[in-house]
Amino acid sequence: MNYTHFPVISVMGLFLGAFLVEVFGSKNKYIRNTIVLLITTCAAGLMLYLVKPVFIDGQIISYWMGNWEPVEGYAIGIGYEIDALGMFFVILTVLTIWLAAVYSIKYMEKDSHLGHYYTLFLMLSGSVLGLVCTGDIFNMFVMIEIMTFAAVALTAFRNKKGAHLEAAFKYLVVGCVGSGFTLAGIVLLYMQCHTLNMAQLASILHGNLTPVSVLALALMFTGFGVKSFIVPFHAPAADAYMSAPTSISMVFSGIVNKAGVYGMIRLLFVVFRVMDISSVQIMVVLFGVVTMFIGVTMALAQHDFKRLLAFHSISQIGYVITAVGICSMKGVVSGLFHAANHTLFKGLLFLCAGAVLYSTGTADLDKLGGLSKKMPKTTICFLIGAFSISGLPPFNGFASKWMIYQSLYDKAVTTGNFFYIFALVCAVVVSVMTLASFIKVTQAVFFGQTPAALKETHEVPFLMRLPMWIMSLLCVGCGIFYRFTGNNLLLPAMKSTFNITSYIDKMMGEGTAAASGIENITIHAETGFEYWEPVIWLVLFVTVLLAVFIVTLIGRRDRGKVLSTKEEADGKYATFFSGEKSSHSHVAGSDLFWGFKRNWKGYFNVMQKFHSGNVNDYSLMAVCCCALVIVFTYIVLL
Amino acid sequence: MIFNYITSVLLIVLGLYTVCAKRNLIKIVLGLGITDYGINMLIVSIGYNYGGTAPIYAQDLFNVGNSTAFVDPVPQALTLTSIVISACVDAMALALVIMVNKRYKSIDANEIRRLKG
Repeated sequence: MNYTHFPVISVMGLFLGAFLVEVFGSKNKYIRNTIVLLITTCAAGLMLYLVKPVFIDGQIISYWMGNWEPVEGYAIGIGYEIDALGMFFVILTVLTIWLAAVYSIKYMEKDSHLGHYYTLFLMLSGSVLGLVCTGDIFNMFVMIEIMTFAAVALTAFRNKKGAHLEAAFKYLVVGCVGSGFTLAGIVLLYMQCHTLNMAQLASILHGNLTPVSVLALALMFTGFGVKSFIVPFHAPAADAYMSAPTSISMVFSGIVNKAGVYGMIRLLFVVFRVMDISSVQIMVVLFGVVTMFIGVTMALAQHDFKRLLAFHSISQIGYVITAVGICSMKGVVSGLFHAANHTLFKGLLFLCAGAVLYSTGTADLDKLGGLSKKMPKTTICFLIGAFSISGLPPFNGFASKWMIYQSLYDKAVTTGNFFYIFALVCAVVVSVMTLASFIKVTQAVFFGQTPAALKETHEVPFLMRLPMWIMSLLCVGCGIFYRFTGNNLLLPAMKSTFNITSYIDKMMGEGTAAASGIENITIHAETGFEYWEPVIWLVLFVTVLLAVFIVTLIGRRDRGKVLSTKEEADGKYATFFSGEKSSHSHVAGSDLFWGFKRNWKGYFNVMQKFHSGNVNDYSLMAVCCCALVIVFTYIVLL
Repeated sequence: MIFNYITSVLLIVLGLYTVCAKRNLIKIVLGLGITDYGINMLIVSIGYNYGGTAPIYAQDLFNVGNSTAFVDPVPQALTLTSIVISACVDAMALALVIMVNKRYKSIDANEIRRLKG
């Protein structure tokens, strides 16, 4: 079978589906759901068919639109090219799209204008898929712009509340500033190389960086940074994740910011190949460390379920950027692994938040509580997600975080640079704070007493639980069968990140890479998968869990009962007061870490100013950061 | 030719200044537009050859002399795409401003900040 057509059919199919839904599906919900499910399933199926040729046979899929093949060594048409790195992100994309489509059917049921919703959803899916498939840098820009529009429109989809419109506007302004940087970078590259094909750009730029192409690098790095929401650009992300419908929040954190990460990897490792310069590595790692630290500390201060998850999402992207920035083989493997795991566990957590929002109608941590009796299945899924993101063995978050620590340590030893030790300490501390923050959420939402208003809460329907179960299974599976994932998916993806000769040769003809002096480097067979024995940890984990369970069982009997309105007003049954009336303070479940917050008052006051909510400030931060990156790259690379 | 580049950089800087400094949401949208115009001008300038003809392969039809001095057609195609995209940005941003104004009764960026911290 000629499978080279599959990527373009999938991307076009999703865009075609967007039109079909708008034309035929705006009235009848059965037609609409059929179109959406059919299109997303077909796209997922076609793309997953390519797993065997790309990962197992080691092929690279290339496709020239309209059969415009290169003439005399110059690419003149738009080319699609999927190597193992692209395929890795393709798998994440189609998985997230399909699960989000299934989840949307029940979750969005009560909203109006669902035709528009699915149109935008399919456009968002198609653009992200196109972005990771394409081999043409301007095509990438167009896909980024479609992605931004669809994402902004979906953020404002539930526009009854002003806050959602506000979030969409901020996202649009900051996103467009970022796209502007990307476009300026792309045209400057075109000015230097007279081509837009990434394979050809890589072969031309190898070894001759001019000042203009360094400027292009800095602009495009900032542009992709805005799309992946690393720290100076993260403020609109928290608003958008919070305001969008939850099925879309999952798509945002699962693939929209991964698209930015993919762009960065493609840019730094393949097109410019500047990652072997130690100062660039330090810059990228610094971005990552700052992102993960600020993300997690801001998450500790949140009172909204989805906003809290949004800040955690930003923090986890920091891990990915840090690991990729290390640029050792183990570092890139762990970064890609964490990117995949982040898609799984963060998607799961957002789906659980959506389930809570669907059943109770609120996402305010102060108003929730004791849902474990009402929604036991959601609670189990949430706990799996929370264990994964906090990095508890044997879940997948632990596997990738452990590898990130190891690669940071190795990097510190080999370079003797103190900065990497600092980064390592930060990574561990952030992981601890993530755990602390999820203890708070679990306590505030699923345990403790149930407020009287939530008496009639029910478990969510099966169609919403199905994506949650699939995500949970994948979370556990990726953690326990890490060696399988590592050898079959991560190693090929890492190899194609470092060795780009076949990427260039496939697109531009044999010998192009060799002519411009690009050589393959040897990849060591061992990349650090032998890091732990999951079975022993599993036994330990089960033992500890049993101990906690038994202690809980022999504890008080009235735990989890529904409070009457009078008792709730009394305040003595509030979480952590165990029936003794408090005289001085009132600590709710969501305020578990008020002491910590009080101690860090100075830091949080600064952060408060940093997240002022003013769109001018956010765009000013983006512009200033771009200026700093330009100055830094000029100092380092010229 | 150098004036084209200077003008385009000035337009980009002016647009970014407007986005960062003006509190009025309409002005912010205008700033985004000006940035896009600056970038479009940059693209067109990159593709222009001094004294070049239109990029139509017409050597056999008309005797236009030196056919090598074509203007590069690719940047013009890029500019068209970019203009379409920036029109979409403006339309969508203005639609959002109208809706924001309905809910907040204001288009001052300082007052539209319920989401913060």
